[in-house]
Amino acid sequence: MSGLPKRILKETERLMADSPPGISAAPKDDNLRHFDVTVAGPESSPYEGGVFKLELFLPEEYPMNPPKVRFLTKIYHPNIDKLGRICLDILKDKWSPALQIRTVLLSIQALLGAPNPDDPLANDVAQNWKENQSAAIAQAREWTRQYAQ
Amino acid sequence: MDIDEESSIPSKRSSPDLFFPVSDSEEEEDVIIASGALAGPSSSAINPPSTATSTRTNGNSNNRKTQQSQEVFGSQNSDDIVPLDIKPTSSNIAGPSRIKRNLSSSPPPSAIPNDFDQGYLGEFVCEGWSLSKGKGYCSPGSKVVFERPKPKSQVEEKSTIRDTKGPARLVNGKVVGAKGKVIGGKQVTLGSMMSKKSSPAPPKKTTGKPVVDSIIRFRNDRGFVGRLSVQEAGFLTHLLDTGVISLTGHVIDCPLSLSTGSTILLNVKVFLARKAFENVEKKDERKEEGTFWQEQKETTEEEAMRRRKDALGALFSRIGVKPIRSNALLLAQKKNGAAVINETSLQHFSDSPKPKRSPSPSKGSNGTASEKGKGKASAANSDNEEEEDEDSGDEAEKLDEKQMNEIDAIYAKAQQGDNRLEESDPPESFLYTLRPYQKQALTWMSAREKGDESIRDNQSLHPLWEEYAFKKEHVEGQPIEIEDEDDFVDPSRKFYWNPYSGELSLTFPTSNTRAKGGILADAMGMGKTCMMASLIHVNIDPDISSTPPPTTAEDEEPALKRPKFKQVTLSNQWRAIPTIPKPTNANIPRGTLVVCPVSLASQWHDELGKMSEKGTITSFMWYGNDRIDIDRLLSQEGKKKVDVIITSYGTLASEYQKWKKNKDKATYEGGSLYDHEFLRIVLDEAHNIKNRTAQVSKACYEIKGQRRWALTGTPIVNRLDDLYSLLHFLRLEPWGHYSFFRSFVTVPFLNQDPKALNVVQYILESCLLRREKTMRDKDGKLIVDLPPKTVDIQVLDFSRPERQIYKHLEDRAKRRFIQLDAEGRAMSNYTSILAMLMKLRQCVDHPLLVLGKSTEDDESTDKLLDAETGDEKENLKDLIALYAGGAKATHKTNGEDVEEVDHAFAERVLKELGEQETTPICDICSNEMFDEVLLPCYHRCCQDCIVNWIGTCEDQNKPALCPSCSKGPIKLSDLRSIQRKRKRVNPLTGIHEEGEPGVTLGKVDLVQSTKLRALVRKLDAMRQDDPEVKTLVFSQFTSFLDLIETTLTKEGVKWLRFDGSMSQAQRAATIEEFGKKTKEPLVLLISLKAGGVGLNLTMANHVFMMDTWWNEAIEQQAIDRVHRLGQNKHVYVTRYIIKETVEKRIMKIQRSKTALVNASLSGGASKDKGASLADIKKIFGLDEDDSEDEVY
Repeated sequence: MSGLPKRILKETERLMADSPPGISAAPKDDNLRHFDVTVAGPESSPYEGGVFKLELFLPEEYPMNPPKVRFLTKIYHPNIDKLGRICLDILKDKWSPALQIRTVLLSIQALLGAPNPDDPLANDVAQNWKENQSAAIAQAREWTRQYAQ
Repeated sequence: MDIDEESSIPSKRSSPDLFFPVSDSEEEEDVIIASGALAGPSSSAINPPSTATSTRTNGNSNNRKTQQSQEVFGSQNSDDIVPLDIKPTSSNIAGPSRIKRNLSSSPPPSAIPNDFDQGYLGEFVCEGWSLSKGKGYCSPGSKVVFERPKPKSQVEEKSTIRDTKGPARLVNGKVVGAKGKVIGGKQVTLGSMMSKKSSPAPPKKTTGKPVVDSIIRFRNDRGFVGRLSVQEAGFLTHLLDTGVISLTGHVIDCPLSLSTGSTILLNVKVFLARKAFENVEKKDERKEEGTFWQEQKETTEEEAMRRRKDALGALFSRIGVKPIRSNALLLAQKKNGAAVINETSLQHFSDSPKPKRSPSPSKGSNGTASEKGKGKASAANSDNEEEEDEDSGDEAEKLDEKQMNEIDAIYAKAQQGDNRLEESDPPESFLYTLRPYQKQALTWMSAREKGDESIRDNQSLHPLWEEYAFKKEHVEGQPIEIEDEDDFVDPSRKFYWNPYSGELSLTFPTSNTRAKGGILADAMGMGKTCMMASLIHVNIDPDISSTPPPTTAEDEEPALKRPKFKQVTLSNQWRAIPTIPKPTNANIPRGTLVVCPVSLASQWHDELGKMSEKGTITSFMWYGNDRIDIDRLLSQEGKKKVDVIITSYGTLASEYQKWKKNKDKATYEGGSLYDHEFLRIVLDEAHNIKNRTAQVSKACYEIKGQRRWALTGTPIVNRLDDLYSLLHFLRLEPWGHYSFFRSFVTVPFLNQDPKALNVVQYILESCLLRREKTMRDKDGKLIVDLPPKTVDIQVLDFSRPERQIYKHLEDRAKRRFIQLDAEGRAMSNYTSILAMLMKLRQCVDHPLLVLGKSTEDDESTDKLLDAETGDEKENLKDLIALYAGGAKATHKTNGEDVEEVDHAFAERVLKELGEQETTPICDICSNEMFDEVLLPCYHRCCQDCIVNWIGTCEDQNKPALCPSCSKGPIKLSDLRSIQRKRKRVNPLTGIHEEGEPGVTLGKVDLVQSTKLRALVRKLDAMRQDDPEVKTLVFSQFTSFLDLIETTLTKEGVKWLRFDGSMSQAQRAATIEEFGKKTKEPLVLLISLKAGGVGLNLTMANHVFMMDTWWNEAIEQQAIDRVHRLGQNKHVYVTRYIIKETVEKRIMKIQRSKTALVNASLSGGASKDKGASLADIKKIFGLDEDDSEDEVY
């Protein structure tokens, strides 16, 4: 393993020492580009009270290319599919090398607080969300209770 | 033997007399049993020995352990029977007994203890067959004695009347006759071989060789007679005839009633007679003469020795005697099944010791070396000389890393006793103070010059010898068993056997090295020059008493070789300078000749001057055109006295050429280096002659000198033959003979017999002194207390444009190689493949290096590529244009012209920048910005980072937005570099120089290589720490040095340059300049090849290796210019490697030192292209997955 870029080391250090509220991220022992992440559901969202596990991987090209992030915990969310994939612009074409792991995770946390059914990844969820929002939110709460607590 | 078998096999089946089935006689796989039909006639024709009854048996041999009397078998001579035990003084065996060693490889077996008569070697069971008929002749257990019909040669000498073949010969029947023919055939071969070579063979030696039969008879006191089976008799005959062995035996089993041809099973005991150990007369002169094997033909004695050797070898294996101590090379030989010495190997010796291999065409250096000779200026010489360390040869012989490590271990082992060497002080005329280890070296060297062996205990068994032990003899009457041999080894009764020469010895053989001189192989930077200088002081004048009289081999040898030359020369010399009479002692060897690389000549001169008290040692530089008569030069007295001649390898080689051409001409006037016999020859950086076929090596071999020294830090550069060349120069016996060295060192070693290294160790122990910087003296202190050295391997990544260009080149080279390889044309296009490789290596340094050459190369390349190349060429040019031009024209969306910088904008930014004290952190890489650039949105980044980002976006077909504010798109042309002026401290006043605001903006300069920028950055950092820092920058490409120059100039860094294009004077001036004290940093740019060796540059303590050379040792040499005696600062070495390029694969290969390295060094014409191609595949990553990490 050639040495990690200084940037990754710095980011990791800061994440460990000073993680944003409700977010934790720690690299795995065997691969320092591979992080175990937990994100707490934001307050007053259907995900409140849940703690969601994610995995985050920094590709070789990072930071020129965005990190790869995925939910491991089952979640009912219009922008997250059943495989845990996330529809978030900064993880795709809006990525900028000035962004960091921290900002990515904060964005994901924000996404939980503000689902966007107009740009869906899980179509059935999005449709449900649009057609019967309260039922969808109830469903999201139920899943949170069931899987994330 | 074919005939034997033919005749014996059918008879074996049909023989009714087989008493013992063949299967009963263990160990005898192809016993030849004479049938009655064969044996019959012979038995009837052999005269029954008239003396049969007079033969006394030995009685019971209970008390016979080692005191067996020779008379036991001493039957009275009858007409055709001679006693088996012939006293050495006996005149009738004078011929064979006067055996001289044919291979003067061993020490003289010294005195044999007086009480030694014979030693019991062992016993074996074999078959014989009866020549007698009837009952009661013998029974199991009855003693027999063995005897030989009189050897024919004696018959000849004694009685000319007698038919040379003797009665036995006539009646022996087919078996013996066949055997005789076989032997005869062999001899004829040898004889004709020798006559072809028109050797000055002794007169005795004629073509008509006596045919030796191989009959051994046995009989007992009752008159029974039998014959030993042919197989055993074959090898015993010669030994019996020459008195080397004696035999006793008894019958194990036999038929009750004998008939002719009955098989009798015998137990035969073998004793090595006293004579075996004393019969070797040594001719000491051989030692020196031996250099010229072509003059050494196999004489009668030598042939006898060879036969004895073969016979003893067969006997040993028959008895199953095993050495209790042996050595690597013999085992290796045995393992390979190679005969130790046979006619083939003799052939070696008949060949000229001069290399058979013609220099390969790639060795341009040879050619240039000879061209050099024509009195060119030294400047021209130096260029050529640089290349001379690169030779070709058998790639397979290159040592890999593991083997080199083994050799290191051997150095260590061979030298382990050396810290106990005495120290001796140099004379007062030597002004320097020697360190303790240098004084030890002085002791060793002085001793070597005196030929004093005792200075270092030499306890290795001579590698050619094996140690055996005599066995205890069986007590009569005990059952005969094959017993565990270890039980019978009596350590007090050791003897030694040289299966190479056939010699036996009772004393422990160590090697006898008569060569005066040796190899001083201390690691680089330990002051070899200094030690040698002290030696010169110790022994300025020839020690007349120790000088061998003119008739000894030292003088004789050249005389033998060129008798005509010597006479002519002398007379011509007298004629040419009649006015100056030669001093009477003109032919006493005097003076020291120092041969060194051109770049070191003046250093030698200077250092000798500095080290010597005035008027004690004067040196003279012998090169250029001002050559004068050497003898006159050295015979000058008083102020003009010259003690040391310094010359370069190039000069020597050219002088050698000239001398060789002219020496035999009547007009030759002498006066060259070759017309003088020096007291001492010193080769500095002696690995220059590692290639024994090179002109320069031959030139060195031929100089006349009494004492020969080779100084080198790397006696073995990358194959064992390197060492050979040095040994040959030293005239160290026997290793200085190529065939010896090859068959006992190189070949076993290549066959991966690790024990071959014992031999190397042995050789090194005898003639080489090596200490390493890490060695400790007897008190446990480091012998050299050098400051620490830190090596930092910086693995850098290409900038994006560089990567593109590189990738492009690499892909193309790879494709082309695959294509050529598939078509089977890779071999024929080998050179161009190597050229592509070269391009890649240059591209790693700086893309512009490739740019400069691309046109020309592409043309040749394109011919071999298919149609698509046209486009590619364009592409490449585009890429380079993009790179060099900062992407001015290539962007379609480029609407606006941003050449002009908005002043308000600039001002604002300048102000902002000016206020910043520290370098900001880049958002992308989180490091302090390196090559800070300004984006149109005022954000800043490292140049690399933003260029990389823009490229990534291009690849993904998305607009490149500012990473920080997402404004954009940004184009490369929009970037502005921010140059902060260094805060310079005036070295005199210590005051900060005032200047313009610290920051200027400029166009981004994309034309910089990653390595170069890294270098500049590092130099800048170093300047902060040490404003007077001196630095060496090595590269193998002078064109890269050019680019570095330009950049350094731009950066305001003062630099000097040292490369192969400079004359000796320029070089010296450069080094002097570099050594001057300066007030600012100074960089010396050195071409690896020109300056990697010998120079003493301890004024610098930083070294940069800009690229990866094929040979790690060369790089090490380069680093040791700085890390050596005299250095008192911490040494920092920085090596730059670019990720994911050929460099890391070169590093891999560098460590395995394989074929490609050699091919590349030699410029492409390699013999073993197959192996090289495999390496090229490695280079292109075609044969294995690339594991990047393990390399670093």
